[in-house]
Amino acid sequence: MTGEEGRVELRLTVDGAERTASIDPRSLLLDALRDELGAIAPKAGCRTGDCGACTVRVDGAIAKSCLRLAVADDGCEVRTTASMAVGGELTPLQQAFWDTNAFQCGFCLSGMLFAAEDLLERTPSPSETEVREAISGNLCRCTGYDAIVAAVLSCAAPPVRSSRGA
Amino acid sequence: MTTAVPPRLTGSPVRRQDGDVFVTGRAVYTADVRADGAAHVALVRSPHAHARIVAIDAAAARALPGVLAVVTGDEAAEHCEEIPHGLDAGHLGGHHAVVRPLAVGTALYAGEPVAAVVATNAADAALAAAAVEVTWERLPVVLDAEQALLPGAPLLYPDWGDNLIIERDVGPDDFTAAAADAAHVLEGELRTHRGTAAPMETRSYLADWDPAAGKMTVHATTQNPHVLRTVLAATLRLDEEAVHVIAPALGGSFGLKMYGNREDFIVPLLARMLGRPVRWVEERSATLLAGTREQVLRYRVAAAADGRLLALDVHAIADHGAAAPTHGWGMAHVGALATGLGYALPSCHVRYQVVATNKAPWVGTKPFGKDGATLLLERVVDRVAQVVGVHPAEVRRRNFVPPDSFPWLHTSGLELDSGDYATALDLTLKRLDHPAVLAEQRTARAAGRLLGIGLAFELMPESADIPGALVSAFDTSTVRMSPTGRVTVLTGVTSPGTGNETAIAQLVADELGVPMSSVQVVQGDTERCPYGFGNISSRSIITGGNAAVLAARDVAATLRATARAMLQVEPTEEVVLAGNAAALAADPSRVLPLAVVAGAVHTLSYRLALDVEPRLESTRTYRPGNVRQVPDALGRMQTYTTYPYAVHASVLEVDPETGSVTLLRHVVTHDCGTVVNPMFVDGQVTGGVAMGIGAALGEELVFDPDGVPLTTGFKTYLLPRAIDLPTVELEHLCTPAPGTPLGAKGVGESGFSGALAAVVNAVNDALAPHGAALESTPVSPPRILAALQAVGR
Repeated sequence: MTGEEGRVELRLTVDGAERTASIDPRSLLLDALRDELGAIAPKAGCRTGDCGACTVRVDGAIAKSCLRLAVADDGCEVRTTASMAVGGELTPLQQAFWDTNAFQCGFCLSGMLFAAEDLLERTPSPSETEVREAISGNLCRCTGYDAIVAAVLSCAAPPVRSSRGA
Repeated sequence: MTTAVPPRLTGSPVRRQDGDVFVTGRAVYTADVRADGAAHVALVRSPHAHARIVAIDAAAARALPGVLAVVTGDEAAEHCEEIPHGLDAGHLGGHHAVVRPLAVGTALYAGEPVAAVVATNAADAALAAAAVEVTWERLPVVLDAEQALLPGAPLLYPDWGDNLIIERDVGPDDFTAAAADAAHVLEGELRTHRGTAAPMETRSYLADWDPAAGKMTVHATTQNPHVLRTVLAATLRLDEEAVHVIAPALGGSFGLKMYGNREDFIVPLLARMLGRPVRWVEERSATLLAGTREQVLRYRVAAAADGRLLALDVHAIADHGAAAPTHGWGMAHVGALATGLGYALPSCHVRYQVVATNKAPWVGTKPFGKDGATLLLERVVDRVAQVVGVHPAEVRRRNFVPPDSFPWLHTSGLELDSGDYATALDLTLKRLDHPAVLAEQRTARAAGRLLGIGLAFELMPESADIPGALVSAFDTSTVRMSPTGRVTVLTGVTSPGTGNETAIAQLVADELGVPMSSVQVVQGDTERCPYGFGNISSRSIITGGNAAVLAARDVAATLRATARAMLQVEPTEEVVLAGNAAALAADPSRVLPLAVVAGAVHTLSYRLALDVEPRLESTRTYRPGNVRQVPDALGRMQTYTTYPYAVHASVLEVDPETGSVTLLRHVVTHDCGTVVNPMFVDGQVTGGVAMGIGAALGEELVFDPDGVPLTTGFKTYLLPRAIDLPTVELEHLCTPAPGTPLGAKGVGESGFSGALAAVVNAVNDALAPHGAALESTPVSPPRILAALQAVGR
C-alpha cells in the first residue's frame, strides 16, 4: 500500500495554523510534520525515543514525535519550538539558551527547550538535580549539559525552599 | 603606519550570531533542505561480517510500488572510479585497498552497503530494500586484531597475504640502552575498546544532477566541502567545477563527517544514474557502525628511583576493521606521534600495526588517536608513582617539559611551542582542594567505601598538516566591505556546530572597528568560499581565523589611508577604527562614520588617495610558520601547529556491590592560548569532558560472536545523560602560541583524553586498597566487579 493509494487525510493544527495533508498511514508524527507539513524544528536523531530531538507538544503535553503514528493524533494541536516565541519575542528560556551558549550544533534543542519549559511549568524553582533529571530524556553530544542546566536554572523563579537536590 | 586596535570583542563571551535561528527551530540542516520531487534512498546492508555475494535478485524489490531503481555494487562500479584515499596506506609502505561506494564481490563487515534502492518516498525505499534478495556464501570471520595477525587467520583481502593495513615505527628504537641505568622497568598492557562519535545528527545527503548543464549540486553533512568536491569529481569522472557542494548547518560531527566516507559517494552517484534529485538520511544504527579507539597497547617503561621517566617502548595493535578510504587509520599514527608528548622523555619508541578485521572501519573521531596516547601515559605515570612511592601529582611534575624549555623537540619529531604544565597541575589541585579531598578519601576508606581520585595530563597536537594529503595546516579567508560598510567574511573553514563563525566575526569586527551586527561569515559553500580544508584537527580559528585577521588588516589599511585623505592629514597620522568610525588618534573629534569612508573608497577614488588601490576586499592565507614537511635525518616531521593542554582531576566512588561508578567532581585546568570567546571555549572543553567520561564508563560498540553489531541504537550504545555527569569545574591558563597573529591554540578536541584517563585512574585508585586493577576500558560495572572478584572481593 503506497503511492497515492491508501493515503489518508490528516488534520492538525501546527504552530497555530490549521493544516491538512494527505499522508501515508504508516507515517510517524515526526515524518508527517517534517515531510508533509514543512515543520522542520523537530529532528530525527534516533527514531527510537531515546534522544528527544523530535520533541513537540501534542495538545499541550510534550511528546517524542518519533514514537507516535500521525493518524493517531488526527485533530490535535501540535506545537514545535518554531512557535515558542510569541510575536517574534523569544521566551526567557530561549533567550537564556542563546545567552549562555546552551547549545552548539542545536540539533537537540527541541527536546531540551520543551523538557525545560515543561519542568518550569510544573516546578518553577527546580534544584540542579531536578533540572538534570528533567532533561535526561534528551541527549546532547556537544555541550556536556552544564550550559543547558545553567540556562534552565537562570529561568527559575526565586526559590521558595532550599535549592538542594530533590 | 598601522596601529593595533585595542581588542574589544576578542576575548569576550559574545553569544552566537545566529542563535535566535536555532532556538526558534529555523536552522536548516541537510535533511531539512527542501527538494521537490526528490527520491529517497535506502541501502541494502550485509547481515554478515564476512560473506561472498553470490547473487543479488532485485526483481521482487523492483516490482514494489514507488520503486524507481535498485542498484547493485557491480552496477555502481561501472559508473564511477574507486574512492580516492584521504591517506593511502599503500603509498606509505602498507596495503592499498580498493573501496567502492557499494561493496563488490564480498562484504567485509556487517552493515556494509551492497545495494541501494531508490523510491519515491523513504518508507517505500526501506520496504523495497528489505525485499532485495542477496544470496550469500558466508566466509570465516576474524574479529580480533591479534588473531587477525596470526598465520592462517581468515583474510579480508586475499591478495595482500595478511591482514596488515600498515605498520610503522615512530621515534628511535633505543629502549634497552636508554633503560640501562633505570631503577625500575615495568611492563604492561592496556586494552582500549571500540567507541564511536555518535553526533546527534546522522549523515545525510541531497544530490541533484542537472543533465543539461552537466552539473551536480550536493547538500551534504560534511566537514570539508571543498575536498569533498575534489574527490567526488574524481570518483564521478567529472571536472571539479561541475560539482557544487554545500554544507548546511551541521548537527555535530566529531570527525565522523570528514570527507571520504563511502556514503559521500553513493547518493550523488544515484542522482546521476537516475537524473533526478535523490536524498538519503542515515539510519542511527548505521551511524553507530563507525569505529574508533580499539587497540592493544603493550609497553615497557623505565624509570629512575625518583620517578623520572627514562624510556618508553610501545607496541600498539589497532583494530581498524575493514580498510577504508578515510583518514581513520591515521589515528594510530597520530597516537604514536603524541605518545609521551609533554613529558621530558629521553627515549620513546612506538611501533604501531593497523590491522584489518571484519568490523566497520575506523573513522577519524575526536580526538584522533591522541586519546590512546594520553590514557597510556597517564596509566604509566600512575604505575610508576606507585612503584617509587611518590604521589602521582609529584611524578607528573618531575617529568613535565619545563616552561623555559620551549621549543621542545619530542622524540616523535613534534616540536612543542609553549606551555606551563606544572602550573596547570597546581591550579587543578588548588581548585580541587587536594588536601581536603585526600582527607575525605582517608575517611571514606576507613569506612570501607571505594573513593578514588584520578589525575591526567592531556596534550593535544592541533591544526594538522599531512604532507601529500588534502589536510594542510593553512587555510584561506576573504574579507569584503560593501559601500555601506557591511562586512562579509568568506572562509575555507567550516563549523560542525561549535560557533566558530561567530568567533571569526569577533576577530574581523575588532580589526575593522565595526559592530558584530555588521559582519556576516559565510562557510561551507564551494562556489562562494575560497578553497579550504574545512573543519578538522581543531583548526578553524588557527587557520581560518588568523587568515581572516590578515585579510581584515588589509581592508583596514585601505580604510585608514582613505580616511586620512578625507581628513586631509599626513600619511603618518594614526587613524583608529572603532565604534563603526574612523577617527584620528591625535584628535578623536575628527571622525568619519566607517560607512562614509567605505562609500568614498567605492565612489571617490579618483579624488582621494590615488596611491591606494580602491578595493575593500582581501583574500589571505594563513600558513603557520612552525610546520616542517621536510623530514629530518631521522625521518621525522613537525606536522602540528599548536599544542593546547589540560590537567584533569576526577573524584568518584565505586559501589563494590554493583560495580557502578558515581562521579563526584571533575576539575580541569585548560590552556588554549589566547581565547577568542571564553564561552565557546568552555563549551568545547565541557563537551569534550562529557564525551571522555562516556568513553571511560560505558560507551562501547559490542558485537555478537559472528561480528554482528549489538549496539544499534541509544538503548545499547549509552551516551552520558545530564544526570550521569557532575558539573565540570574549569580553570584557565593562557600561554599564547608564539609566532602567530592571535596566539590562539586549538580547542575542539580538548577535554576528552584527560577525562577518559582521569576517570580510569580514579577507578583504579578506588580499587587500589583491595589490590584490584583495571587495565582495560570501559571501566564499566561488569568489568569493575570482575576486577574485584579477581582479587577475592
